[in-house]
Amino acid sequence: MGLFGRKKTAEQAAGAQDGRGTAFIGAGLAIKGKVSGKGSLIMMGRLEGEFDLGGELIISPPAVVNGEVKALALSVSGTVQGALTARERVHLEKSARVQGKIITPRFAVDDGAMFNGEIEMKPTPENAAKPPVAEVKKALSVKERS
Amino acid sequence: MSKNVNAGSTSLVSREVLIEGEISGEENLHVDGRIKGVIRLSGDLFVGAGGSVEAEIDARNVVVQGTVSGKVTARQQLEIQPTGRFNGECTAASIEIREGAVFEGTSRMINPPAPKSGNGPVAKKPA
Repeated sequence: MGLFGRKKTAEQAAGAQDGRGTAFIGAGLAIKGKVSGKGSLIMMGRLEGEFDLGGELIISPPAVVNGEVKALALSVSGTVQGALTARERVHLEKSARVQGKIITPRFAVDDGAMFNGEIEMKPTPENAAKPPVAEVKKALSVKERS
Repeated sequence: MSKNVNAGSTSLVSREVLIEGEISGEENLHVDGRIKGVIRLSGDLFVGAGGSVEAEIDARNVVVQGTVSGKVTARQQLEIQPTGRFNGECTAASIEIREGAVFEGTSRMINPPAPKSGNGPVAKKPA
């Protein structure tokens, strides 16, 4: 019995079951509270509260997020008000509307994005210890030549 | 029977995601992860085999393959599939419990909601 009307959707969702599917909150949903876990998530709905994700968080329009946001990587093209913390990187795309504080080791903003607030960039312990991959490669090739 | 009154999209709470709080809106929701709190949907709630929901639920259809506990209102149908476990209070217009499913708690039947647009007047006779 196709309770979802579109059977495909249910199948697609079921296909994501084997562990690490990306969660998806649609434009028609509103959440008040905390969303956490090891996974990744695409957000198009409204959230008042907190995100704390081990994976990547994509905030796409018409999403409106009000609160504290933590994830491995953050990609924003929707609207966010609050504190954003990424362990890897933050990317504000051109339709992003962000107000608040951003803490991240890597940061990118596209032309057209709106950002009002404060940025704190600190390298993660790993980043500080390891040189970027390109430099390692360079060093290796120099070694080979000599 | 299930007309796409709001042929909305289906949101997915995947396995490694936990939501604590209130979720509401005009969508269907598929849960393979965990939800604690309140769920109010104009669409359907589907709890997958790995999913676990501890909540006060109000949805159109509720299909349970995983675990659900709490107070559930299904405006149309509550369906508990063979792998499903339900514990709590259920209010539904129709119930289907498959063999192998676990149902612990109480059940109360309601009249199905009136269709949104005119398929004639709704008979208020007992079914």
